Parts: sequence; C-alpha cells; structure tokens
Amino acid sequence: MTIPERLKDLVDQMPNPDQRGMFTTDVDKEKIERAVAAIHDGGREYVLGLIGMLVPPGEGDDAKAHYALHCLANHVLKIRDENARRQFGETLASQLGDRPKGVQAYLCQELQWAGRSEACAGLGKLLTDEDLCAPAAMALVAIRDGAAEQFRAALPAARGKCRLQVIQGLGAVGDRQSAVALREALTDPDREVRLAAGWGLARMGDAGVDALLKAADVEPGWERIQATKHCFVLAEKLAASGQALAARQIYAHLRDTRTDPSEAYVRQSAEKALAATKEP
Amino acid sequence: MNRCIRGVSRRDFLKGSAAGVSALAVVPRSVLGGAGESAPSESLGGALIGCGGRGPGTFQDLARGMREHLGKEVRLLARCDVRFKKECDNKEIYTDFRRVLERKDIDVVAVGTHPGWHALVSIAAMEAGKDVVCEKPMTRSIAEGRAVVEAERRYHRIFQIGTYGRFGANRQTHKLMASGLLKECKAVVFRRGGFKIREWSGIVNPKPQEVPKWLDWDMYCGPAPLRPYHPHRFGGTHRGYWDYEGGGLADMAQHHLDGFNYEYAKDFTSPVEVEALAPPAHPEACGLWGWVELTYADGLTLVLDGGEWGPRYDRKQQRGVSPSDLAKEDQEKLKAMPDPEPLVSFAEAVRTRKRPGGHAEAAHRTATLFHLANIAIRCGRKLRYDPVKEEIVGDAEANRLVYQPMRAPWRL
Repeated sequence: MTIPERLKDLVDQMPNPDQRGMFTTDVDKEKIERAVAAIHDGGREYVLGLIGMLVPPGEGDDAKAHYALHCLANHVLKIRDENARRQFGETLASQLGDRPKGVQAYLCQELQWAGRSEACAGLGKLLTDEDLCAPAAMALVAIRDGAAEQFRAALPAARGKCRLQVIQGLGAVGDRQSAVALREALTDPDREVRLAAGWGLARMGDAGVDALLKAADVEPGWERIQATKHCFVLAEKLAASGQALAARQIYAHLRDTRTDPSEAYVRQSAEKALAATKEP
Repeated sequence: MNRCIRGVSRRDFLKGSAAGVSALAVVPRSVLGGAGESAPSESLGGALIGCGGRGPGTFQDLARGMREHLGKEVRLLARCDVRFKKECDNKEIYTDFRRVLERKDIDVVAVGTHPGWHALVSIAAMEAGKDVVCEKPMTRSIAEGRAVVEAERRYHRIFQIGTYGRFGANRQTHKLMASGLLKECKAVVFRRGGFKIREWSGIVNPKPQEVPKWLDWDMYCGPAPLRPYHPHRFGGTHRGYWDYEGGGLADMAQHHLDGFNYEYAKDFTSPVEVEALAPPAHPEACGLWGWVELTYADGLTLVLDGGEWGPRYDRKQQRGVSPSDLAKEDQEKLKAMPDPEPLVSFAEAVRTRKRPGGHAEAAHRTATLFHLANIAIRCGRKLRYDPVKEEIVGDAEANRLVYQPMRAPWRL
C-alpha cells in the first residue's frame, strides 16, 4: 500500500535512537504527543499506513513506526474514547493472518495492550499457528472478555506447544465450560499439558477433587510438586466458597500420603490447613 | 534517635542474631532433625539458580550467615544457569531449575536469575520445601509478588529478599507510624536520583543475532515473549527491557525503598494514587522518566525524582514525621509503647521459623511501589490503586500490567 506523505512526516517526528540505539536523547514529550494525536486524527488509513511501515525484526529499520504504533495504542486509551479504541483494535485485528509473522506478533502485543473483545476472533485464528500461538494467547488472556470462546474453538485442532498454550489459556481465563476438557487433559501424554490442566481446574475451584488428588499422587519429582500445589489451591478455593468438607478431604489426603521425610513440609502444611478449616 | 544496626552489610543480615527455636516449626530436616526425620547433619544442601551478576555473591553471603549463626556449612550442591548448556550434567550443573528443585538434598536456594524469573523460581522452590534468598528486585509484576506471598504462607517457608535497607531504618519513625496514633500523615518523602535511568535503558530496534551455542535462550526468556536473541537483552543489560525487569527504577528502587517501607510502616499496604511525568514509553525498551508521585490513603506522599529527564519535581516540599505531630496525650501513649522488635535475619529465620525482616509481603509491598511507578510511566495517565484488592481502579488496560500473562508452560 502507499504510505501517505503526511503520515511519514509525522512518524519522522518520533525520537531518533542515540548512538547506543536508545531513546535517551532528543526525547521531546510534547512533540511526540502532538505527532501521535495527528496520526490518530488520520483514522484507519493512518493506522494501516503505520502497520505497513512495520517490518519483521532484523529486516529493516522500523524503530519510529514501531514506537509510533505503541504510542497510538496508548493514546486511544488515554483519551478514553471507546469508539476510537475499538476502531484501533479492529484495524489491528484485521491485519492478523496476512502480514509477516514478526509483524503479526507485534500486533498481538499491541492488542494485548489496548485490544478488547473486537480483537478476539482475529487472535483466535492464530492459536493453532506454532509461531504465533503464544503472543495470541497472551493477548487473549489479557483481554479476557470473549477469549474463552477462542480457546475452546482452537482446542480440537491445537497440537504441541499450541495445545499447551490453549489449555493454559482456558485455565487463565477461568472457563468453567471447559472443565470437562481440562479433566480429560489431566491424563494427556504431555506432562506440561497435564500440569496446565490441573492448574486451570484448581484456579476455577472445580470440585473434581478425586481427579486432582490422583494427578498429584505420581512419582516424586516436578510433576508431583506442582500437582500437589494444585491440590492446595483447590482446597483453598473450596474452603473459601463454603465447601469445607471437600477442602478437608484434600488436606487429609495430603497429610496421610506425604509420609516420606522429604515431604514433611507438605504433610505439616496440610495439617495446619486442616486445623484451620473447620468442619461444616 | 534510636537507630538499629546502621550501615550493616548484606552478609551481617543473613547471619543474624540469636533466638529461640520453635519445636513445632517446619524446619529443614538437616537443620534440626526430629522424630521420623534424618539426624541433623553437619551441613545444609544449597543451590544457586542464576549464576551471573550478583548470584554467586548472594549464595556466598547466605552460606556465610548460616555458618556463623547456625554453625552449619551450606554445601553448594547445584548450580543452575541458562548459560550452562554445554557443560550441563544434571548432577551439579543444570540449565533447568526444575531438576534442581526435585532434589531432596537441597534445603536452601539462592535466586540470582534475571528478575523475570525471580517470582517463578522462588515460588517453585518453596513448593519444593526449600527456603529462599531472592536477589532484588523481587518481581516483574504486582501479581507475581502476591503469588510469592501465597507460596510462603501455604508452605510455611522462609523467604528473604536480597536487600537489607530496612535493617538500618529508623525504628522510632516506624514505631510512630505503626502505632496507629497518627491519623493523617503529612510527610512527603523524597528519593532523588540514583535510579540509573539512562544506564539501564533498552535498545529500541535491536538487530537479531544468532543464539550462542552455550545459551538456552528459550529458558532465558521464560514467561516473557520469545524474542529474537540480542546480546543487550542478556547479561546485566537485561535491565533495560520490560520483558525481564523494568529499567533502573525497578533495579534500584527495591534497595532505595526497603528502608522507607519499613520506617513508614507500609509493609502491608500500598499507595492509592500514582502519577508520573514521563515521555511516552517504548513498548519493549525501558527509557526516560522525570518523576513519580505516590500517595497513600493516610496522606503520606512518596516522590521518586529521577533527575535525568525533564523538569524537577516541585509540587510538594519535603517533610518528615515526628512525635510532635501527635497531640500531647498521644505522645505520652507513644512513649509508653514498647520499641519495635529487632528484625529477624535469614539465618535466624531458618532456625526459628520466624518471619525474616525482608519477608515476602514486605518485599512485595516495596516492589509494588516501583511497579506502580512504572505502570504510571508506561500508561502516561494518573492511576488510582486499591491496595487491598491490589488492582488499579477503573482502568482495565492498566491492570494488564498488574497481572501480566505468561508464555506457557510458565504461570503463577
């Protein structure tokens, strides 16, 4: 696309990196803010123009456009104009899928900063892309509203690190509709997927006590340590929601099964928690 | 003025003073032994996770304190660093901290990684039953700090932040502020300079380079986005990037504000307003700022005046607190109150299972100060903060910097 000359002039008003490559000299706050406001006034055409000036890392010098886009993302938040913010989010999301991956990763990052539900569908499309699933998932977790549907939709097709990112995303946004899928993932062949699923179930206070206890009774090692933590977290959630009996069941199990001296700290933590969790 | 232990080194505070032993405490088995436990050994097992920069010094200080206070040697059984990819044997030298923490023979861990890892490694160590000394700054975000506090509470482990300004802080100011007698605090506390703002800035357009063969770059990035490798993102200059730290402000303020937080009795609360003067921030590289003003619910104001960019702060004048701020009757009440207990060192805490002076909540609340300051700098708007919910009020996007999503498999 053709970049408007006026936009080029405005972008050129961003600071010049010093000899170390940093913005530590020639930084004029008012000048930057005036230029960013003028870019904002240029509407969607200027946002697309800015995106058109971006290049993947190492493929050219886009330092000023890169910075200007972030300043613009922050500008639409500062002026508290929801229409402007949504249009900005829609414009960025519309460019996901077609641009170079290095540029798309940056757009995900800026949507993590200023996007809301309008960006979710665009981000969701990247959840099965091995190079982009992480930045897309991080943006969706930050946005939250509307993110769960995207993670749920991506789960059947997600493989490898994408599947892990999606499972973790479902737990991070606390999607109770995915509790069954997460319980199934407790027996996944991939240890990290099992742990992410247990983490998610514990965080959402899912009362699948037996499944989490079973997951924690594995051989000593990292998985046992982490899955035991999930049991504690679940017990705390249950106790806080008035399900003291279920919480006590977890603590009693940990007290009774952590008999090796190396797990005395778990046993004693469970004993203390048990004493502090009154029977209903 | 009754000042406790002015000008004492890191090592002295890791060493500590004598105290009794609580028989019910969950002490590492090799410290005390006990029924069903192995006999007390002559030494503790130690690990250093993050072996560059301050890491070795942190471990040596820890070991010296334990030797001098407990009469126990701390044997360095495991060294772990992402730069050990070529020499890693998973017996003494590791690149993956998870394998270190699986070991049953390690009791204490020193954490010297880049700060983007501090919380996750500290939490994991406590989940594995280890006591922890963690280099400053404690965390990269406010939510990470809360998670460290929860792990410390859940597992009854000892956590000490690797800065000790509070041990030399003014205890009489602390006594006054903690007394509850001062209903409105008119103090304005300045911290001028010393933030290394330009020194710890980041490169705005780093050209990707090949990852060195000795470096596990994915592990280095950890919970942060997996960026292309550039040497400036690594090995000390990591401080200039939001992914791993938060500029000179995050790097220095845990030192500068540790004493303030104790003196003004703010170890269990945080400011309610924060405002900064700074140019628009870069998305990845930390950069310039002028000043930050943080205000507590009781009126106390903390001013961080960077002195490296823009006009100096001139909104309020410096002012302290003293017993004369109280009514005569309250001054008498204050006099009648006992002086604050001396703060507990890490070594003493390991033995007694008492909370050390730089415990997780105290360190977290100090870290919250510079995290809020950096959020205000990055967002460019005045923020209101709820110190109980630990949320920015009415600004969902600013809250995204309070709880920052992580790259799987890393999570809080």
